Amino acid sequence: MKYAYFPGCSIHASAKEYAMAANAINKFLDVEFVEIPDWNCCGAIDAVYAYNPLMSISLSTRNLALAESMKMDIVTLCSACFFTLSRANSVLRENVDMKEKVGKVLNDAGLKYAGGVKVRHYMDVLVNDVGADKIRQQVRTPLKGLKIAPYYGCLIVRPMEIQKFDDPEHPTSMDKVIEAIGAEVVQYPDKTRCCGASLAITDEEVMMEMTKGPLLTAKNAQADCIVTPCPMCHFNLDAKQKDIESHFDINIGLPVLYVTQIIGLAFGIPPKELGLHRNIVDPSRILEKLKATSYAAPKT
Amino acid sequence: MNKHNHASNLITSQITDPKFLEEIKKIPGGDKLLDCIQCGICAGSCHARFAMDYSPMQIIKMAHLGLKQDVLSSSTIWICASCYTCASRCPRGLNIPAIMSGFKNMAMKNNVPAPIALKPKFHKTFTEIVGKYGRMHESELKMKLTNKTSPRELLRNASLGLRMLRKGKLKLQPSRLDSSTHFSEIVKKALEEETQK
Repeated sequence: MKYAYFPGCSIHASAKEYAMAANAINKFLDVEFVEIPDWNCCGAIDAVYAYNPLMSISLSTRNLALAESMKMDIVTLCSACFFTLSRANSVLRENVDMKEKVGKVLNDAGLKYAGGVKVRHYMDVLVNDVGADKIRQQVRTPLKGLKIAPYYGCLIVRPMEIQKFDDPEHPTSMDKVIEAIGAEVVQYPDKTRCCGASLAITDEEVMMEMTKGPLLTAKNAQADCIVTPCPMCHFNLDAKQKDIESHFDINIGLPVLYVTQIIGLAFGIPPKELGLHRNIVDPSRILEKLKATSYAAPKT
Repeated sequence: MNKHNHASNLITSQITDPKFLEEIKKIPGGDKLLDCIQCGICAGSCHARFAMDYSPMQIIKMAHLGLKQDVLSSSTIWICASCYTCASRCPRGLNIPAIMSGFKNMAMKNNVPAPIALKPKFHKTFTEIVGKYGRMHESELKMKLTNKTSPRELLRNASLGLRMLRKGKLKLQPSRLDSSTHFSEIVKKALEEETQK
C-alpha cells in the first residue's frame, strides 16, 4: 500500500522519533511512504490562517496539488497537518470566493489543483487499511501487563472538515491497536481533552492547566504510559511535563510514547530504531516493567 | 461591574455596528452565524472556558447584536485553541473555531489590542517564518517570542531548551525548500491579495 507522505514541520524537528518508528513498523505492515517532493508547511491550524487565511489555504493547496500529480492519497502522521490539509479541501469546496483567489495564487506559480486528493491520518491507515489483525500477526513480543492510556486529542476525531474514521466522542482506533499488541487499554475520562496546543507558546499557564488534566487522570487510572498520535500533544504532554510538575507542585512522571513507538516495541524492533532515546520523560521504566513480565526485550 | 453582564446590560446604538454581521458572513463558516439557537452546548463543552472572559455562546450572541468592539477585544477569541469540541457537538453545525479565527483576523487588521499581548505577534511571526523558509523553524519562533526581560520566563525557556537539545529535538538550522521558485511566488501573491482587501 503506497501513500503520498506528508511529513510536516514537527516531524522534521521535535517529533522525529514518531516518523523513525513509523518507518520501522511500515516494513512489517506493507505500507510504503512516498514523500511529497518539496512539500511546504501544511498551512498551520490557526497561526497562519487567522493572520492571512488566503496564504494558509494556498500553502495547504500547494501540497495538495503536488500530491495530486502523484495520484495517491495523502497520509500524514501529524494530527494538525491532517486537519489543515483537509480544511483546504473543505474550504475550496464550499467557499467560491476563496476558491477563486487560491486558484489565482497557484496559477501564478504554475500549479493547478483539481480537488481530488484524499487526506488521511496514519491512524486511519493503521486500523482501516492495515487492520488490527495484521498488526496482531506481526507481534513478536506481546506487551502483556502494560497499561496504556490512549490520548487522542482533538484534530483526528472532531473537526467537520476531516474525513471521519472514528467516533468524535468515544474514539477507539488506538484502543484497537493497543489490544492488538497485547497491552491493556486504560479507560480514563480525558482521552479527547484538548492539550492547549500552541497556547504553550503564547499563554503557557493556560496550556499547563489544560494538559495537566489528561496527565493526572491517566496516572490516577494506573497507566504505565500515555500513547498519542499527535506531535503537538506529545510536546505538551512530554516536553512540558516537567514544567507542569513544578508549576502545580505535583508528581506525574508518566512516559509519553508515540503510537508508532509502542507498536514497534511489540514488533521486537530495538528501542533505538524507534527513537525512544529522544523521549523526554524517561521511558526505560516501561521496558523494565515489560522485562519483569514475560516480555523478551529487544537488544538496544 | 462584572464583565460577563456587560453585553446584556449596556447595548446602545453607539456600541453596535450594523455592518459586523455582513463582515462575518464572508469568513469561511461565518454564513451560519444566525443559525445559532443559543443552546449553550459550546459554552458547556469548551475546554478552555476557564481562561476566557466570555463563553463561545456569549460571543456569538454579541456578534448577532453587532457588538464588534466587545467581540474583537475579548480574550475568548484568542484563547480558543481550535479543539473543535464545540463544533462537533453544535446541533446547528456552526464551525465556531473557524469563526474565532475570523475574529482574530479582524482584530489584527483593525489593530484591536489583544488581552493576551503575545498573540498577534505569534501569528505574525509564525506567518513570516513560514513565508521565509516554506516550513516552520520551531527554535526561531520560540526565540522571537520569548520575553527577554522576564527572568522567570528566560529560566523556564532555558531549561526547556536544554531538555530538548539534550534529546536532539532542537533543530538549530531551518529546513528550506529545494526549489523555492513556486513557493515564493505563492507567498508574494497571497500577501498582495490579502492587503488589497
